Amino acid sequence: MRSYVRPVTNRPITSSRRDSGGASPARRIELKVDSHPANLAAVRKSIETFATDNRFDDKSVAEIGLCVNEAMANVIRHAYGNKTDKPIQVTASADERQIVITLRDWGNGVNPATLPHRPHDPHTPGGVGLICLKQWMDEVSYTPQSDGGILATMIRRRNR
Amino acid sequence: MPDPKAPSNASAVVPSIRRAGDAVVASLRGDIDLHNSPQVRTALLKFVDDNKPKKLVLNLGEVPYMDSSAIAVLVEALQKMRKTGGKVFLTNLQPRVKGLLEIARLDSIFSVVATEEEALAK
Repeated sequence: MRSYVRPVTNRPITSSRRDSGGASPARRIELKVDSHPANLAAVRKSIETFATDNRFDDKSVAEIGLCVNEAMANVIRHAYGNKTDKPIQVTASADERQIVITLRDWGNGVNPATLPHRPHDPHTPGGVGLICLKQWMDEVSYTPQSDGGILATMIRRRNR
Repeated sequence: MPDPKAPSNASAVVPSIRRAGDAVVASLRGDIDLHNSPQVRTALLKFVDDNKPKKLVLNLGEVPYMDSSAIAVLVEALQKMRKTGGKVFLTNLQPRVKGLLEIARLDSIFSVVATEEEALAK
């Protein structure tokens, strides 16, 4: 079985993979990591590998990977206040129409969708991550969870 | 085995940084993201502070990937250089990095050229 992740932290990165049956099987992976920035690369590369295996082209894979990185970095910085030992759960599933990626945190529950929007000024740092998500994902939503934190869902369609 | 959670060695991502006349030329290497961009920031800004160059040339030929935190470091370096009338050149951009700069509208803020030599000649 192809391995999508390599463990990089003291808390094991656990992953599971599921293939469904049928003429157009959807495939899914699930990753559980802690909120250390050292895990960003492994998660990104796992999702990129998954997207490649599900026949997204190289440009799309790169854009999907960066979006996952940005979403996860936002969780680390804002939902968890840069604490490095908090849980993040990432899933990816794909079918003939799209790839769907979710990030679940148990952080401070601040919903990024409710934050005031500030137009991006290229002369000042910050805000590039959200621009990437807006540009390279077809849908991005944030759902508050009853046990705390946020579930972020990102969808990238094949035919954009 | 090294602790993967330990801070990245600055020399791993900034393996070369040198003076070339009134310019500072830095080569960056590897994927740069939130884990190691602080080390890049520290190394670059310190060298700029210590040397006060008129030109900062950043060779990104060995950087296949960077995220928004790395972009923020570049912008901060640019702001610092501009305070003294200096310029920042980015050279040898790989496609993913070029795409990110374009989407962030930074390709018009930085001077983007093909090579270090071209940057030093300007």
